[in-house]
Amino acid sequence: MLTLQVNGVAHQVDVPDDMPLLWVLRDVLGMPGTKFGCGIAECGACTVHVDGKPVRSCSLPASLVAGRPVTTIEGLAGDLVGESVQQAWMDIDVVQCGYCQTGQIMSAVALLKANPHPTDEDIDQAMSGNICRCGTYRRIRAAIRNAAGVA
Amino acid sequence: MSAPAESRRRVLRRTVCLSLAVAALGTGTRGARAADADLVARGAYLERAADCEVCHTRPGGAPFAGGRAFVLPGIGTIYSPNITPDRETGIGTYSDAQFVSAVRAGVAPGWKHLYPVMPYASYARMTVDDVRAIRAYLDTLHPVHAPAPANAVRFPYSFRPVMIAWNLMNLPSAALADDPGQSADWNRGRYLVEAAGHCAECHSPRNIMQATSSAHSYAGAVTDGWRAYNISPDPDSGIGAWSDTQLAAYLSRGHAGGHGTAAGPMADVVSHSLRYLTARDISAMVTYLRTLPARRSDETVANITPDALATGPNDSNGGRLFAAACAGCHLTTGQGRQVEVADLWGARSLGETQGRNLMKLMVEGSRLDTAQGAMTMPAFGPEYRDQDLADIANYAIGHFSHRIGHVTARDAASARGGEPPS
Repeated sequence: MLTLQVNGVAHQVDVPDDMPLLWVLRDVLGMPGTKFGCGIAECGACTVHVDGKPVRSCSLPASLVAGRPVTTIEGLAGDLVGESVQQAWMDIDVVQCGYCQTGQIMSAVALLKANPHPTDEDIDQAMSGNICRCGTYRRIRAAIRNAAGVA
Repeated sequence: MSAPAESRRRVLRRTVCLSLAVAALGTGTRGARAADADLVARGAYLERAADCEVCHTRPGGAPFAGGRAFVLPGIGTIYSPNITPDRETGIGTYSDAQFVSAVRAGVAPGWKHLYPVMPYASYARMTVDDVRAIRAYLDTLHPVHAPAPANAVRFPYSFRPVMIAWNLMNLPSAALADDPGQSADWNRGRYLVEAAGHCAECHSPRNIMQATSSAHSYAGAVTDGWRAYNISPDPDSGIGAWSDTQLAAYLSRGHAGGHGTAAGPMADVVSHSLRYLTARDISAMVTYLRTLPARRSDETVANITPDALATGPNDSNGGRLFAAACAGCHLTTGQGRQVEVADLWGARSLGETQGRNLMKLMVEGSRLDTAQGAMTMPAFGPEYRDQDLADIANYAIGHFSHRIGHVTARDAASARGGEPPS
């Protein structure tokens, strides 16, 4: 039995130690906001925060995050940076198909919390590894610039 | 839960059930039965220290049922036999003496001489009591009917009695006796490294007789296309610059900060054997390894710290592919996004300018079993051209070790074909 701290709430889950965090979030805790993309940490669609850092939940054994704070896209409501980023996303209509955007937003929020005024190079560095098949990269970068400085 | 871990757990469960059944037997034999249970438990631990399972299990096959192929260039292909207690195809009919003879002298029932792919020259240095304990443990396994495929060995090696001469020259005559001039810790470490753990079988080069070289002991060698690194205390070529904590972490968890993660055959050794050893035994191995003679070899360690990393993106083909395919887990800084095994700083494979192990790792992928479950690196498949793989390797060698990589598309093709690079 593991205890996971997800979005500030403690959950007791009875799962194998090596079940990826993404499976626990979606199938056990019923939080489908985080998406499954590639399954091998290459695409970034499953990004969540652990200890405030962006991680790929598809490749992270649940037992490694027991007791550490996990934040998912569902946990951004009420968060200043989280809401600013989502608003910036809506302001310029970043999204096309949307599948990767949970991961994009989680990576962007982690970046802005660690670095409220990122350069374009910082943005490229932090967002590399979050792949968008629709090619919304330019709008993503613009939205991050617009959201910068709120924290 | 991965399949091998599941089956291992099943075996353990069976052992426990058996022990309980044994304990439930009549009171008159309780003392003797308890002694048997102790023997089985000791044998289970020693089996892990000796790592029998990994060679005696074919990929995807039943544990200990044999059938794993060993391709020996110029000699042929040899298959590991079934060592479950099956009476027809396993070792069910062996007496204890026959089992001890096979493991320690390389002679199976019927004067069948084993090939030294079976590391009996190392196991000869184990005590008879310990080998018997392993037998007691193997007897508790479920018998699996699995005949070993026929070996395909070239003449003259196919004539097994040639091994008699080999054994006369290369086989130690007795188990290791404790050296009273050394600490108990050192003696235990020597036993685990030289006898049960048979480290020299991969890490020492072989002489013209295919026996492990004592003159170059632990100076590193190539086995199965992978380089088993120099593990002598030489600071430039071996483990002299590692701290005790780093060595213990690498042996027991397969990763040491500043030295990267075990991959390939060493990942197998950690997964199936070393991670089950007690902290005391791991520390004893470290104590002993420190006292080996230092051997200088061609491969040297690149001592680069993360502070020395050239910043900024790299627009080479290798740099772009690294950012796309590798940085997801390793990050462009190489420090790993979320699991310690993805931290690749100081990995020796990145200091090898020929990229032998790096290429094998990329082509085959890797799997390391840890207390948190299996950690895997996916293999690079046909979606990457040979030149792409070489470019990624050369980029990584340059970026993380400040060396100029010489990996070619041909090396990538060789690694994919399972042939040694030219």
